[in-house]
Amino acid sequence: MRHDSTQVFAHGVGGRSDLPIPAEYAFAAAVAALVVSFAVLALAWRSSRFRGDAAGRPVARPIAAVVDSKLARGLVVALALTLAAWVSMAALFGADSLVNPTFGAVYALLWVGLVPAALLFGPIYRLCNPLRWLHRGVCLVARIDPAAGVTSYPARLGLLPAALLLLAFVWLELVDPPVATDLTWVRLWFAVVGVVLLLGATVYGDAWFENADPFEVYSSLVARLSPYGRKSDGTLVVRNPLDNLDGIPPRPGLVGVVSVLLGSTAFDSFRESSRWLRFSQQYSDDATLLNSFTLIGCCLIVLVTFIGASVLVGGIGHARRRDLPNLFAHSLVPIVVGYIVAHYLSFFVSTGITTLQQLGDPLSQGWTLTSWAYRLDKYAVYDHPTALAVAKVVAIVVGHVLGVIAAHDRAVRLLPRSRALVGQLPMLVLMVAYTLTGLWLLFSS
Amino acid sequence: MRTPRRLHLVASLLAIGVTVAACSSDDDSADPSEPGAEAVVIEITEEGGQITPLGETVKVDLGREIRLVVDSDAADELHVHSEPEQSFDVKAANDQEFSFTIDAPGTYEVESHELGVVVVKLQVS
Repeated sequence: MRHDSTQVFAHGVGGRSDLPIPAEYAFAAAVAALVVSFAVLALAWRSSRFRGDAAGRPVARPIAAVVDSKLARGLVVALALTLAAWVSMAALFGADSLVNPTFGAVYALLWVGLVPAALLFGPIYRLCNPLRWLHRGVCLVARIDPAAGVTSYPARLGLLPAALLLLAFVWLELVDPPVATDLTWVRLWFAVVGVVLLLGATVYGDAWFENADPFEVYSSLVARLSPYGRKSDGTLVVRNPLDNLDGIPPRPGLVGVVSVLLGSTAFDSFRESSRWLRFSQQYSDDATLLNSFTLIGCCLIVLVTFIGASVLVGGIGHARRRDLPNLFAHSLVPIVVGYIVAHYLSFFVSTGITTLQQLGDPLSQGWTLTSWAYRLDKYAVYDHPTALAVAKVVAIVVGHVLGVIAAHDRAVRLLPRSRALVGQLPMLVLMVAYTLTGLWLLFSS
Repeated sequence: MRTPRRLHLVASLLAIGVTVAACSSDDDSADPSEPGAEAVVIEITEEGGQITPLGETVKVDLGREIRLVVDSDAADELHVHSEPEQSFDVKAANDQEFSFTIDAPGTYEVESHELGVVVVKLQVS
């Protein structure tokens, strides 16, 4: 077999990667983002339209019956758990080299793949979450209610544990290629996080997963941009993704989660730039340390600027001012998703295909169980740089527009009429700044 | 409330955006990639465990010859992360030349195996 997979990870370790987007695309996208932003500010509705979980039309009864059936859900879960077990087998018993499918399964299929999965199928990770099923299994044997813990989850912590574990994951992935592609590190990471999540679930019951599991929290946030949702009584509905987005409960830590997602993706773009390469290779003997600080710095910049802009919104009295960041954080989700699509599209396709091929040989025995995957061309995605650049720019602009609309609607709902327009200016300016930075990173890489 | 005046304004704003975007895409940098063009020469110096350049970006036309001219005081291996991957053995000598071409668009790193650093990034398009 060809060992061209020595450099599976286009990100940072070499291998073929994207060309920068052409200047004129970046410019056109920047102009579009600016024009649309101020058009929304000046012309859009003045009283809130989005209805969160109250919105949506119930889907046709036969379809709902299938989606809600034990059989369909059982099949999806069985498939997901089989895949998880298969990858775990490769992680535990496969060769410690880049031909091991674990790396691609974690960084491409799981981490990037959960975005399209959530956009297409809603909060599917929550349904399939292997740790939830493990916890459920243990509870079944021990005859305890999975929802019951020793104590109830402290609501004031909110999504804070998930934000920290997400930071831990992006650290593993981005800070140092030799760490990201060392099987020992990956095993250690999942072992520690698995223990943290299972212990937490024992203490707090399974509410812990929706607040701490980094993949479930990420997937459930992105699922809010899908056209499906449920009403509070569980009815499956089709709804406007913007209504869906509006239904994200503003919890403590939400702003931390989106900051880590946006900041880390920006860091990944930034560290590939020639400017950063020259600097970091020349002046630093300890790339891991330098990158760790820079990664955390990127996330903090997003966090601080977003909190700053939210607090500047003002207009709802001192007592609630500190709630503002989390009341607006949902509007960053489309910007995060747009940027992640732009940044990871080609990586997802090419590494995804490599991983499918490697999954046919989890223990490096020369098996070809997924021989069909060898018919896919993993480089095809790079052969059309223009189409790729257009897709990236469109993803960024669409994400920006949805974000601006979501923030506008939230502002006109929260703020008194006299303050609604002025109040949302800081947020709008910040979103434009994020988007222009994203475009600049894609353009100057 | 959407009044006709407002719609008109939206339309004008969008028109401005589209016009600006359209204008900006006219000036494609038309560089005639004449056949038999000269090779892109990249001079690399390795001395006392230091290598230059160190992470520079070099733009190359699709299919044009790339020539690495290496002066080194130590043995090393240069990896070009193209597909298939190319690898050149560097000896402790001056004016060693390694030529290759890349026929598929993308960004490729040239890496020093011994020093573990990116020497240049080739932007091939």
